[in-house]
Amino acid sequence: MKISWNWLRELVQLPAGVLPVDPVAAAREVEKRLIRRGVAVDAVVPVGVGLSGAIVAEVRGKRPHPKADKLTLVDVFDGQTVTQVVCGAPNVPAPGEPGTSPRVVWAKPGATLPSGLSLSVREVRGIPSPGMLCAEDELGLSSDHAGILILSPDDGLAIGSDFAMGAGLPDVIFELDITPNRPDLLGHVGVAREVVAAFANEGATLVLPQPEFSRRTASSSAAQAARIVIEDSLACPRYVGHVLTGLRVAPSPIKERLLLTRLGARPINNLVDATNLAMFFVGQPLHAFDLHVLRGSQIVVRRARAGESMTTLDDVQRPLSSDDLLIADAERGVAIAGVMGGRDSEVRPTTTEVLLEAAYFDPVFVRRTARRCKLHTEASHRFERGVDPNDGLLLAARYCCDVMLRLAGGQILSGAIDVYPRPIEKKTLALRYARTNQILGKQPPVSIHEQQAALTALGLTIETTAVDHAVFQIPSSRPDLTREIDLIEEVGRSVGYDDIAPRVPQLHMAGPTRAGCDAASTTLQKNAERARDLCVALGFDEVQLFSMTSPDRLRAVSQTSDGDALPVPLPLENPLREDLSVLRTLLLPGLLDALRKNLHHGQTDLRLCEVGEVFLVPSGERGIDPACIQTTRIAGVLCGNRSYFLKPSPTDALDFADVRGIVEELLDGLGYVVVPQATPVAADPAQPREVIIQQAHASTQPWLHPGLGAVIRAATTQATDGAILGYFGEVHPTLRERLDLPAAVFAFEINVPGLARPARSYREPPRFPGTSRDLSFLIAADIRADQIRAALLSAREPLLVDVRILEDYRNPSHIPTGQKGLLLSLSYRASDRTLTDEEAQKAHDRVVATLQTAFPVKLR
Amino acid sequence: MSLSSNAPPSSAADAAPLHPIYAELVTQLAADLSAVTSEPALRTVHARYLGKDGEIRKRLAEALRAAPGPEKRTIGQAGNTALSRGEELFAARLNALHDAARGADLARSVDVTLPGRRTRLGGLHLLTQVRRELESIFAEIGFVVASGPQVESEFYNFEALAMPDDHPARDMQDTFYLQSPPLPGSTGGRLVLRTHTSPVQIRTMLAQPPPVRIIAPGKVYRKDDDPTHSPMFNQIEGLVVDDGVSFADLKGTLLYFARRFFGPSVDIRLRPSFFPFTEPSAEVDVTCVFCQQKGCRLCKGTGYIEILGCGMVDTAVFAHVDAERQRRGLPPAYDPENVSGFAFGMGIDRMAMLRYGVNDLRLLFAGDARFTQMFR
Repeated sequence: MKISWNWLRELVQLPAGVLPVDPVAAAREVEKRLIRRGVAVDAVVPVGVGLSGAIVAEVRGKRPHPKADKLTLVDVFDGQTVTQVVCGAPNVPAPGEPGTSPRVVWAKPGATLPSGLSLSVREVRGIPSPGMLCAEDELGLSSDHAGILILSPDDGLAIGSDFAMGAGLPDVIFELDITPNRPDLLGHVGVAREVVAAFANEGATLVLPQPEFSRRTASSSAAQAARIVIEDSLACPRYVGHVLTGLRVAPSPIKERLLLTRLGARPINNLVDATNLAMFFVGQPLHAFDLHVLRGSQIVVRRARAGESMTTLDDVQRPLSSDDLLIADAERGVAIAGVMGGRDSEVRPTTTEVLLEAAYFDPVFVRRTARRCKLHTEASHRFERGVDPNDGLLLAARYCCDVMLRLAGGQILSGAIDVYPRPIEKKTLALRYARTNQILGKQPPVSIHEQQAALTALGLTIETTAVDHAVFQIPSSRPDLTREIDLIEEVGRSVGYDDIAPRVPQLHMAGPTRAGCDAASTTLQKNAERARDLCVALGFDEVQLFSMTSPDRLRAVSQTSDGDALPVPLPLENPLREDLSVLRTLLLPGLLDALRKNLHHGQTDLRLCEVGEVFLVPSGERGIDPACIQTTRIAGVLCGNRSYFLKPSPTDALDFADVRGIVEELLDGLGYVVVPQATPVAADPAQPREVIIQQAHASTQPWLHPGLGAVIRAATTQATDGAILGYFGEVHPTLRERLDLPAAVFAFEINVPGLARPARSYREPPRFPGTSRDLSFLIAADIRADQIRAALLSAREPLLVDVRILEDYRNPSHIPTGQKGLLLSLSYRASDRTLTDEEAQKAHDRVVATLQTAFPVKLR
Repeated sequence: MSLSSNAPPSSAADAAPLHPIYAELVTQLAADLSAVTSEPALRTVHARYLGKDGEIRKRLAEALRAAPGPEKRTIGQAGNTALSRGEELFAARLNALHDAARGADLARSVDVTLPGRRTRLGGLHLLTQVRRELESIFAEIGFVVASGPQVESEFYNFEALAMPDDHPARDMQDTFYLQSPPLPGSTGGRLVLRTHTSPVQIRTMLAQPPPVRIIAPGKVYRKDDDPTHSPMFNQIEGLVVDDGVSFADLKGTLLYFARRFFGPSVDIRLRPSFFPFTEPSAEVDVTCVFCQQKGCRLCKGTGYIEILGCGMVDTAVFAHVDAERQRRGLPPAYDPENVSGFAFGMGIDRMAMLRYGVNDLRLLFAGDARFTQMFR
């Protein structure tokens, strides 16, 4: 919202000396007070400050400069003499008859411009030029330098008069950021009231202009000229119409045009400009209908009929529904209530009679219609927030009539047509003085007098008082004041938050509790933090990527051979762009994309990880509990080499064992226990701790290399598969190529458990030495390492403390086809004595015998 | 020092002449010891000459067998002398070998200025570091961490926070909606990506009676995208509810935070503002940490930098919470006549950018390892 300091100053009466004379300094002072009161000031922009000595001059003749194509010699008349000035602008107007010829702004020698430039007689290509003709930017009006400013004789600026004074300069514009609760600040009167309150202690008072139109009132009455009917009084509680006749449509004078431009509006013609000026003045949007066009000379406020449509001012035909409120004449819609006027009923050059609308529309109604029409206008913005149906509405209408009569001549028909079927009464609110201090916590407390003064300065009036409270009447321009707490806030703003001394709140030792964040989510948070730390320790750089992604990117990674991308991602209804249009179901696609970008930066040997959420729609139910949708995962991608000296050698390249090792560390660090498959465990299916690692299936994990991919599952007692908790392995070469990744990439993605890690416990380090036995044998190549481990452990040999696989040997020149050679090292130890060779050997023999009963092995 | 040419120590050789029947063997032993350069080979030589079945003992046995009785004693003594002479030679040679090996070991050297074999240390993302710092600052004054889902219902994200559907305050936050069936029950409405962390306020108050003192960090989403706005960013929410909590407590808490995070010399300024779920509301500025209030580009010459929004919990929020608590069969616990509270919310991203002078918000979510490494 833009506010003119000049306009504001007319409304705020201040004793002399309170503000500096310099307009910019004064505006800065006001800005400080406004900020302190919570009116956000985005900018304070001087307009035409420093302009002096520029006069209005009439163009009497022009001819080309003899030595320069782009220069013109212009004869200007200042009311006394004609002077030749050199002008470089392309738009010097042709002279007309004296008195009706176009006028320009001439900065004479001795004049100064807002830029600080002082003018003198200067020779331009051999011809002396006394001063210059000015463009808008030179006058400090705007940044426009397309040509000089051209005035018409109708602009009301006399030849030879001071331009700045006539144009209402200098001025200072406040750019305010008005919060949605303060519709009253969307007009100068409301801001003036706030300034008055800010300077209440200095004796500021609000001065509203008195209506003048009574002097130009016709004898016939408005009620005879037009009729207003409200069919839906809920949506439109009040509609006031004024009728003006004998008007002459023309451009507004330069002063009004410049003011509108400063306030961010485009001047249209004197009648439309009058409605806009009134809106900027009071915050009440108004609309002028051409009365001749209104069929039946009447206004009907009604719901649109099914199938009805209307062409609005912006030349768009808009279909309407019965939820939309329409301003209609006897036959058809002429405006969408509170949003935009109709094309056919707008003021045109031939208009002489208008019906001026000043109405109160229900905020919710206007908001819904504006949203449906996708129209956000100055009017809808204000109606949505709530205009003042009483004093403000009437003030705006009166002000507008005055401006119309001043700018367009004519007269006003007597009496307003005021249809007010549902009067909106002024509210009253009680304020308990002690409650104010309880909430604000100010020491010393805010006195009763201060509290009353703070509110009355804003136009509230005291209805009744008691020892401990008072009842206030609320002006209807303040729809935000509906509860006691709202009054307390007003008192707080007035006292100033700076004057409330800070205090660190006492801590009640009984609380706070963690009940709000249940144990599970707290554990999940802890585990997520641990997952981050583990990854960093494993050499990963943490990143944070968008939760939104593109369906294509997900499909590229998770599309299976039969074409499904599983799981189905949750789509956004109103995405910003296609590549952010669904919620991710996997962290990996984003990480792979990030990996590609990093490689393009020229980096090598990368390890990226993210701990973040994926969003999976629980299947089956129609209603979705939002809390069930997100799952926290840890994922990482890596490529390049392990650590190396100076230059990597081929053996330094990462391979599957690296990612498997990283995953083992992570699983261990997060409290998961990897057990061999088919080991019976008492698993909690909701919170699995024991997990198995098995070969991934290309049909369900298409992004993994078919031979170098693994899936992590919850271990179960049953034969059925446990829930999948994660995957890891080498990224499928086809996918890698599609993503433009040059060399082998490894990746993992694992659920962060919601289960607390088991408590650590102390065990005495072994005091007696153990012994180990190597075991070398041939076995069928398809028997997995963890099956062999499980078989060895199934011997339940108490002395066996560790099984290590030292070699998995498959060289076809030494090993028969379909077989592999394994070398294992088995460690034996007793906790209470040094084992003898015989004891160890006996135990070893038992273990080996168990293995032999489980699988056909050939010992070597 | 050449190993092969190393002569046996002269002290042993020169001590006394050996008995002739051993002299040649010992000389041969000395030569063989000199010829070998490794310890295992040395031990083989030792075994051949000085072992149980070694040459010297064989010679001794033969000589004893052949010698007449009176000479046996002399021959035996001479044999022992030869054996100990041999052991001396062996020990000396072993020492020499050790010395030579140590010497060779010590002769090694490297260019210590060459770079080493680095296991690159990973790094926590800047946002993680700043979030943890914020959490720990608030933990110092009794806050605990809470969390809530990022996909939220309109009830938690808006309605319970006094932002009904037709309220212009909704314009303050451009919302992403999800394509989903409407949710059942009063906590329903459409699904949205939460636009702020404030729904955690509601979730917390539904789950527990006062006192409440939580901090809730997390990702939030708004339909915005430019150098200072990202469609996803991170907020941290604070909520305190207890009896007798006032605006002065809010100020004190925020001042504590600002000085711990930005430094002991900063001050804060509270400007009245509007949020639908707090009343009175304020926006909070810190004195500019870049220019010490002299006025700079970052504070736009004002000497202040905006850091967060806050206010006293609106009584309407308490009313929504108690109504929902009752609907769920819980006792009402948030009567505004008995308890009061304050809430605040700030951008973790903004805090990080202010602290480290990062000038493009989008860099935080670009997945650039170089960015992470900067803050390792």
